[in-house]
Amino acid sequence: MTTPSFRDVEQLSAYLDGRLSQVEKTRLETRLQADPTLEALLGDLRHARSILRRTPKHSVPRNFTISPRMAGIRPPVPRLVPLFSWASAVAAFLFIITLGGTLVGQISSGTAAPMLASAPMTSQAYGLGGGLATDATMSALTDNTLYTPTPETFVLMAPQATSSIGTRSIAPLPVPMSAKKPVKTWLFIWPGLAVLLFGSALLIRWLTLLAYRRRINKK
Amino acid sequence: MDEPALIHNAQHGDLNAFNSLVLTYQDIVFNTALRILGDEDLAADASQNAFISAFRSLNSYRGGSFRAWLLRTVTNACYDELRRKKRRPTTPLEPETGEGEDIETPRWLIDPNPTTEDQLDQVELEHAIQHCLENLPTDFRAVVVLADIQGLDYGEVAMAVRTPIGTVKSRLARARLRLRECLQGFRELLPSAFRLEEERQL
Repeated sequence: MTTPSFRDVEQLSAYLDGRLSQVEKTRLETRLQADPTLEALLGDLRHARSILRRTPKHSVPRNFTISPRMAGIRPPVPRLVPLFSWASAVAAFLFIITLGGTLVGQISSGTAAPMLASAPMTSQAYGLGGGLATDATMSALTDNTLYTPTPETFVLMAPQATSSIGTRSIAPLPVPMSAKKPVKTWLFIWPGLAVLLFGSALLIRWLTLLAYRRRINKK
Repeated sequence: MDEPALIHNAQHGDLNAFNSLVLTYQDIVFNTALRILGDEDLAADASQNAFISAFRSLNSYRGGSFRAWLLRTVTNACYDELRRKKRRPTTPLEPETGEGEDIETPRWLIDPNPTTEDQLDQVELEHAIQHCLENLPTDFRAVVVLADIQGLDYGEVAMAVRTPIGTVKSRLARARLRLRECLQGFRELLPSAFRLEEERQL
């Protein structure tokens, strides 16, 4: 009768599970018959194993099925969505460019405005013996889409009241509003287009998501 | 649909096929996590994480026992949970005696509903087993839970804990030896049915 070694415990454990070869099994059974300590240990191990095997099983607190979101599955994105998103970005970019251009235009026209304000005085100075400011000249001026006042224009615009030849006087010309109209229209068109495209992209995405969820729930 | 077909479909992204597998294996996965962690809420979280992780890494499954592959995922989730618990230990809600010792079963935790003797036996047995399991090192605990409580064979256990069969054999023997010593301390608490069974075997 000897104190069982760990090797003995390992063999007894494998014997319980039927994992010994025929030779090992026969050898161990012979030892078990001769050694009551070993046999008692086998009984203890068997007892421990049988208790573990009768451990109560718990029922699951909930189902562990996973949703598409938990699984990280994304719904398909229609091709139009990125297209519309990019177009929206381009429209927004153009809006910024147009806005910037308009602001620069306004600043430059803002520097021209004082010149226009001083036009009557200047024209009076130049007006003596100055050129003719006729209706034809005026119509030619207003027909220009972009109006840039020049010293020559001021000369032409000089009031004729002081002129010896003058037929009638002309009030100083305001900056033609018609010249800014196209720019202002685009100022509204670009952001409108950007919002419309972005909204369309969102709508398409939402509709696709809705259809995808319906399909998933149907399954 | 049979299991290989469900696995094949799940590997191709069919979530419904995977959820069918989840329903088949959720009991064994949850009970394994419960025995390793000893807490129902933690076991439920670990089980859920294990299934999510299993779906994401399903393409790494290359045949063999799907149950063992799934249990490997839950064992890893349990190890992660135990490591997290070790880093951030929590204070138990057990009240203390005047001497500062914990009262393990305070009055407010006792179930007021009367239970039958069998139910009491089961509860006592479960507490004793869980106590002894928690005294084992984590690696030994996982092996003994998989082999003796869930009934996996050595090959499946080896696959689940990613160790050679020889190591499984050795860990199982050590775990049983320690459990034997621990359970002897609960001899009087164990249900009479088990004591009689033991006596019969001797």
